[in-house]
Amino acid sequence: MKAVGRLLAAWTGFVFLFFYLPIAIMILFSFNQSKLNIVWTGFTFDWYAALWRDAVLVRTLQNSLIVASVTTVLSVVLGTVGGWLLYRYRYRASGLLETFVFLPMIVPEVILGVSLLILFVTIGLQLGYTTIIISHVTFCFPFVMASVQARLAGLDPALEEAALDLGATPAQAFTKVLVPYLMPAIVSGALMSFTLSLDELIVTYFTASASTRTLPLEIFGRVKKGLDPSLNAISTVFILVTVFAVFVTEALRRRNP
Amino acid sequence: MRQEATGFSAAVTERQRQPGRAGWLLLSPVILWAVAFVIAPAIIMLVYSFAHRGTLGGVILGFTLENYASVLDPVYLQIVIRSILYAGITTILCLAAGYPVAYLIGRADPRWRNLLLMAVMVPFWTSFLIRTYAWVTILKSEGLLNSLLIQLQLIAEPLEMLYTPGAVVLGLVYTFLPFMILPIYSSVEKLDGALIEAALDLGAGPMRAFSRVIVPLTTPGIAAGVLLVFVPSLGIYAVNDILGGGRVDMIGNIIENQFKGNARNWPFGAALGTTLLISFALVYWFVNQRQRAAEGR
Amino acid sequence: MSRLATHSLGALGAALALLACSDSSAPPPAPPAETPEPAAAEAPAPELTTGELNLFAWSEYVPQSVLEGFSKETGIQVNYETYGSNEEMLAKLMSGASSYDLIQPSEYVVEALVKENLLLPLDKSKIPNLKNIGPEYWKQPHDPDLTYSVPYMQGTVGIIVNTEKVKEPVTGYADVFQDKYKGRIVILDDALEIVTWGLATLGIGPDGVTKENLEKVRPVLAKWLPLVKVYDSDSPKTALLNGDVDLGIAWSGEAAILIKEQPGKFAYALPKEGAHMFIDNLVIPKGAEHVDAALAFIDYILRPDVSRVISEEFPYTNPNLEARKLLSKAEQENPASYPPGNPKLATFRDIGPLAADVDKLFTDLKAKSGS
Repeated sequence: MKAVGRLLAAWTGFVFLFFYLPIAIMILFSFNQSKLNIVWTGFTFDWYAALWRDAVLVRTLQNSLIVASVTTVLSVVLGTVGGWLLYRYRYRASGLLETFVFLPMIVPEVILGVSLLILFVTIGLQLGYTTIIISHVTFCFPFVMASVQARLAGLDPALEEAALDLGATPAQAFTKVLVPYLMPAIVSGALMSFTLSLDELIVTYFTASASTRTLPLEIFGRVKKGLDPSLNAISTVFILVTVFAVFVTEALRRRNP
Repeated sequence: MRQEATGFSAAVTERQRQPGRAGWLLLSPVILWAVAFVIAPAIIMLVYSFAHRGTLGGVILGFTLENYASVLDPVYLQIVIRSILYAGITTILCLAAGYPVAYLIGRADPRWRNLLLMAVMVPFWTSFLIRTYAWVTILKSEGLLNSLLIQLQLIAEPLEMLYTPGAVVLGLVYTFLPFMILPIYSSVEKLDGALIEAALDLGAGPMRAFSRVIVPLTTPGIAAGVLLVFVPSLGIYAVNDILGGGRVDMIGNIIENQFKGNARNWPFGAALGTTLLISFALVYWFVNQRQRAAEGR
Repeated sequence: MSRLATHSLGALGAALALLACSDSSAPPPAPPAETPEPAAAEAPAPELTTGELNLFAWSEYVPQSVLEGFSKETGIQVNYETYGSNEEMLAKLMSGASSYDLIQPSEYVVEALVKENLLLPLDKSKIPNLKNIGPEYWKQPHDPDLTYSVPYMQGTVGIIVNTEKVKEPVTGYADVFQDKYKGRIVILDDALEIVTWGLATLGIGPDGVTKENLEKVRPVLAKWLPLVKVYDSDSPKTALLNGDVDLGIAWSGEAAILIKEQPGKFAYALPKEGAHMFIDNLVIPKGAEHVDAALAFIDYILRPDVSRVISEEFPYTNPNLEARKLLSKAEQENPASYPPGNPKLATFRDIGPLAADVDKLFTDLKAKSGS
């Protein structure tokens, strides 16, 4: 068994190397002198300095974070409640509803984008944060729901029954028993939503307005001139801040559990 | 929570009840969302798929089956088949590569789990364009990997890695691997360690314990992972362009082109999308029905 | 679906704009539009004050400093929204989701938009700097006399060669697509471009895209495409810079950047069979809410000193003759921006529904050409 464990660890290490290799390249090139981001010509901090002056980049990153955060919260709520209810109760046509919820995963982004745009225009909704968030939640919450349903499959109903028998209200049974049980699925669903939303380009193009453009839209626009290293720099800053935040939260959590 | 694989279906039948008013009320946001933002756009797309091509993009409403006839044109069918092939290979590789990682995280000390999960996702919080162009830097003929291999004297001439089908598959696996790891993780996490111990105690080797106990109990996670990888990778179009040199067109490229390329043929794009959507819905519904039948509902 | 933004929304927007900046130092209040075209009668009357400008333009094409300079001078705030292809722009424009005051289509799209009666004729009395535009831009078939459009930048599609790797002269499409260059070529991922190159070798210009000619060009392209290593419209220079390919056909702007970054290594030539010249223009769509602001912006970017800044950042061919005079010698002599001699150049025309056939032909040949 020891050997199996070591093999597992080695493989996981290899996969993490695979995940982080491009990130390492990105960080490296954020210090590269050449504007073209292709060959290494020398070390510089200029791109980080350029970030301060690049108001557009900072604003679009802000927009992305706002959209991704709200999208994640809404997706988690819809996905968790939906996944649990469809598991728990026998609704008429629940299979149909499930199928519809999962459809946005297969609808090509450009079609989802165009058809939502036409819908928004028809109902007179002005493009802005609301329309971007609606469109993102539409393709993000199926990911949460799939994750929650996978976790629920095979759950012992006795768990919830016991809570109810002990006098808990259904709401209490949900928040005190089910949510903790579902937490791993909720966390992974939330991570997936956040990631998908943060990086979405096509649907966002159709549902954003000039003042709510997100970072991926801005980055895509800059490809033509060659991805300039300030994009690497802003991504590096973002990743470092995230990693720092995660470590601080973990450390705090461990100190006062 | 301890449960044997055979007791599974019995437990399932007990759990489902008729929803009361509260049950419907709670579900209503999900229903409303699906109706407003999934079904309504789907209907728009369906209507467009029967329309005529507008001069500047857009459509001229009408009724024609021409667009669906084009879907069956061998020109596009060959690309549909290729897309299914690439998505299938991607899914299998993601499952093979991701399962061990998901297992390790799921069985790891709970204190480390969230950190490990974050570590899986953080690389994906950079734009896919930046990530994908970083792969270009690694794979190109004068790139990192070739230099390394030459330094180690494993090869004499640079290997051709970038702009090959292999590079496309690598890019797809890179993009979708986390979406395999996460759902499997949440299935592994609830595995009862005692069950595995028992299997091992009863003389099953690690392989048997894995195939007879662990895999069946994590099937829901595997199924979710396959869904979350296979389905979106069918519609991909940017990763294959950058790493495959634009030579490997997939359904996503064709549809994209009808709206954003110079084809400007929205009705055909809509017909392709509708076909994709209906095939998915049918397969999903069929699998779901069989599963329910197996569960004895 | 084909409808522009409703005018009622436009009126609301105008009212809001009035509230938003009543004290702006905008250009003098405009008298009612006096345009010669009858179509102008349908246009909403220009507002008195224009505090905003909704600009919908190609990404990475309008320098931030130009936008800021314009705002500083006029008090008009520019909302700059971007797109990556003409069709992408049309998709959003036609849905009527937002109303734009100024868009930046290429010449064949201008032609289509004029045909559909979707553009406002320009009030040239408000664009005195229009005189800086070179004479050859006043007689292009998509909009002769520049009734609706003002050229912003012009570019060409030509051959880029890495002269360290390719020693033989490469002067035409037929020189590029030779067996000895198999796996060493990058070209644009653009069906219409590639079809017109094939047509050019048959002696047919870009206005000769017809069903019959598409069949004629099929065998030519069937021989070409298996030789191609990379199709890339977004950043064709990447493969050249990386050394993964040695020659290619791409936008002149890409070539200009290559020549600037690695002098002496790359050469740019216009194919002798005839090259595609594209002109990106500024036009005002019908339904625009801030027509005066749009006209003021057009006039602003036509100033030689402003136009020069644009040229410095985006080294395409500047149609503004006065601005060209202000460029450095190196810039003026960059063969990608200002090709020497008298090359054979032609613009694309609107090909209507044939676009779908062109796309299908390319898709098919590409799929059959390997991998």
